[in-house]
Amino acid sequence: MADQANFERDALQYNRQLYSAAMRMTRNSADAEDLVQETYLKAYRAYHTFTEGTNLKAWLYRILTNTYINKYRKDSRRPNEVDLGTVEDLYLYRRIGSEESADAARTTEDRVLDGLVESDIKEAVEELPETFRMPVLLADLEGFSYKEIAEILDIPIGTVMSRLHRGRKAMQKRLWEFAKERGLLPQEA
Amino acid sequence: MSTDCDDPKGTTCDEALENLYLYLDTELDSLTSDRIRSHLDNCNGCVHSFEFERRLKTVVKERLDEDVPDAFVARLREALAEEAATDAK
Repeated sequence: MADQANFERDALQYNRQLYSAAMRMTRNSADAEDLVQETYLKAYRAYHTFTEGTNLKAWLYRILTNTYINKYRKDSRRPNEVDLGTVEDLYLYRRIGSEESADAARTTEDRVLDGLVESDIKEAVEELPETFRMPVLLADLEGFSYKEIAEILDIPIGTVMSRLHRGRKAMQKRLWEFAKERGLLPQEA
Repeated sequence: MSTDCDDPKGTTCDEALENLYLYLDTELDSLTSDRIRSHLDNCNGCVHSFEFERRLKTVVKERLDEDVPDAFVARLREALAEEAATDAK
């Protein structure tokens, strides 16, 4: 059992990560702040149920995710599937490399990776349906393991893997569009 | 990509690519992970694609990271202090 007196010392250090995730969930800073604050208050009240020495960060994310789902998810009619059509694996990489020599491809890769700005990445993630956005955020922003993600989202590991796979593909497809819009690709691409 | 490769241990490029994200996410058992690493030592095509995906993963992480407003952290501390004070009563 964890002592409430230590809550601030132990848990507050994760505020930056929780806030970054909350921003991508709610898409605006006012709701993100509310969501993080509510998460911390709930966590504080339930801290006596937390087993010390286990994964505090994952425990906080579980509360964050559940709070978001219960309170902030307003529109459940948003599509819950991603239309991947013929999107192949390594979509971005293969598109960049498809029509060029190896050296030219490397130059384009650098240009794309340097040239995609924060708002492109954020938009690509925010546009993902929630089902896919959550695993992508937890894996790519937070670096949680598949097992931790399965526990946080309360879904089987196999489901984590397939959603992560599809979510990353959909994100790459969107990033490719941003790269085109920004003129980061050779003319003919 | 699956040509020009002679991995002496016989791991194919297809096999390596199938495991790409598991490898980058450090989700492979050590045996498989070693096999992939050794394949990458012997295959320019795969090393190139793995490197690109690894860099993309880093870019995504860096550019999703948000600065938390200081004022918000202060409010958060206050809210927790208030909650603790209510408990103490």
